[in-house]
Amino acid sequence: MNHVIFVAYKLLLERKRQTLVSVAGVAIGVCALIVMSSLMFGFQNYFIQQVIDLEAHISIKPKEYQDEDRIVKKVDPNSLWEVYGNKPKEKDKIIGWRDIIKDIQKRQDVEGVAVHLVVRGILKYGAKEKPVTLIGIDPDMEPKASVINRFLENKRLERLKTNRDAIIVGKLVAKDLGIKDTGKKVILSLANGRIALLKVEDFFNSGITNIDNTRVYMHINTLQALTDRIDEVNEIVIKVKDVNDAQKIALELQKHLKYDVESWQRAYINFLQIFKIQNIITYMIVFAILIVSAFGIFNIIMMTVLEKKKDIAILMAIGYSRRDILFIFLSQGLAIGFLGAILGFILGYALQEYLSSVRLDVEGLIRTKGFILDRRPIYYFYAFVFSMFFSFIASFYPSYRASKLNPVDIFRSA
Amino acid sequence: MVLIELINVKKRIRNEEILKGIDLKVYKGEFLAIIGASGSGKSSLLYIMGLLDFPTEGRVIFNGHEVSSLDQKTVSKIRNENIGFVFQFHYLLPEFNLLENVMIPLIKKGVPKDEAEERAYELLKRLGLGGKEKRKIYQVSGGEMQRTAIARALANNPEVILADEPTGNLDSKNTQIVMQILQEINSSGTTVVMVTHELDLAERADRIIQMRDGLLVL
Repeated sequence: MNHVIFVAYKLLLERKRQTLVSVAGVAIGVCALIVMSSLMFGFQNYFIQQVIDLEAHISIKPKEYQDEDRIVKKVDPNSLWEVYGNKPKEKDKIIGWRDIIKDIQKRQDVEGVAVHLVVRGILKYGAKEKPVTLIGIDPDMEPKASVINRFLENKRLERLKTNRDAIIVGKLVAKDLGIKDTGKKVILSLANGRIALLKVEDFFNSGITNIDNTRVYMHINTLQALTDRIDEVNEIVIKVKDVNDAQKIALELQKHLKYDVESWQRAYINFLQIFKIQNIITYMIVFAILIVSAFGIFNIIMMTVLEKKKDIAILMAIGYSRRDILFIFLSQGLAIGFLGAILGFILGYALQEYLSSVRLDVEGLIRTKGFILDRRPIYYFYAFVFSMFFSFIASFYPSYRASKLNPVDIFRSA
Repeated sequence: MVLIELINVKKRIRNEEILKGIDLKVYKGEFLAIIGASGSGKSSLLYIMGLLDFPTEGRVIFNGHEVSSLDQKTVSKIRNENIGFVFQFHYLLPEFNLLENVMIPLIKKGVPKDEAEERAYELLKRLGLGGKEKRKIYQVSGGEMQRTAIARALANNPEVILADEPTGNLDSKNTQIVMQILQEINSSGTTVVMVTHELDLAERADRIIQMRDGLLVL
């Protein structure tokens, strides 16, 4: 192989400027792939991880029933009676929830189960008020089904046990109400007209805007008492051992339950679909850059082949085989790809370092103080594989053509 | 002893018969000159003798091996180790200096770089190019380029030097130098086959054959 490298190296160095341009093209593609991947997946993985940690992997909820409001018309189209509306039936509870969770706990693939009572209410602090989603939790059961503690700023989940008027307020709920410290008293108004004075014991800060902006946690018994729904629950949350199995387990549970069983994948399907589209668009852009750089490689190798026909012929006369000629030009393309990848790694790493140091307040789907980067080395590996692949594809045809040249024709034409 | 044997060799290119049945034996150690007018088929014959081209019909036997039965890798190996080409135009690689041009066949053969460099230095010195080894080809004269091309052809101690109009592009002084080198190479035991259209140069060979319209006539 030395004889191939001996010639290829010289040919490559001979065209320093074109080689550098081609290397820079590949480097930009590699850098783009690394940085775009780490940005996209950093954001997506963060979001999914928060959702997985915080939300139920599987939730069981009562199905929403709404009676058909034109049922009378259907029975007798000529009837004088007409129903203009119909209240939903009061079925917002899970009957026999203790037996259900007992069955679920027996499963090997389930880590833990907890129950919730979820109702709407309005929280008031001073002159400010805000509609919230109240989630009644059992502080003993809840950590088995979520990592709620991780998101508590003061880690005071236990206070819900000892202090029945304690609540944990979403960070953005607190912000909107103007609550900055714990210990503040807030007034809760419920749909049944009940009003309660509650004490803010902790703040819940997941970083996901629509969760932190609506949620208030309190002890399930307190909420049951306030809503006159003693011993009622309307949500069972399940944490599974492997989050990727959630959908499969949900489908299995659905077969035996009359309630709605929903995996996190189904609950967040819209986000996951958007992420998928986002990834496709990102990779299309990155591949477009890599294809452009591949054309650069194709161009330089093809030009070299066309200009070096005589050299190719003489190399064949000296004893280089067609295979050697193929490798001489192919190795030039691969060398450009390799050097481009290395330069791209350096640029990508530098850009990642810069982006990770940038401070900015982002408040959208998630809240963060800067870019969330996924800096796993696997993206460097992918970038390397793609750059080498595109370099190989780009240089193969000109190299193949070089290897098929007939030295005698070249000597005759000279 | 026969080094190259051509038996009823024919070559057709685009329906035109360039060689029309050549029978020829090249003996080891001889200096053979092939003369003929332009287009008579001399170069085509030389390319076939050097295994760069293959006959449309007929047999070529190189050093006892039937060439048609050899695979491409072996043919390339024979070209590298047993045959040295010298062309009318030097065909040196412009990216390399004189020394590196001479090293190419050695490196291809698998000779370690240090050894190859030493051998190339020795050859260039022998051909009067000592001190110019690191020069690029555009920094030397036409005669020096051709001498470098001869050094390259000699690099692997080939059994035969096939020279296609080696002085065709040189002035009379350099022509004499190149001819003298070829004669010295031959006198050291290497077979030389030279294609030329100049009879006075051909007369320095041990044997002259003439070609006309694709046939040997002398």
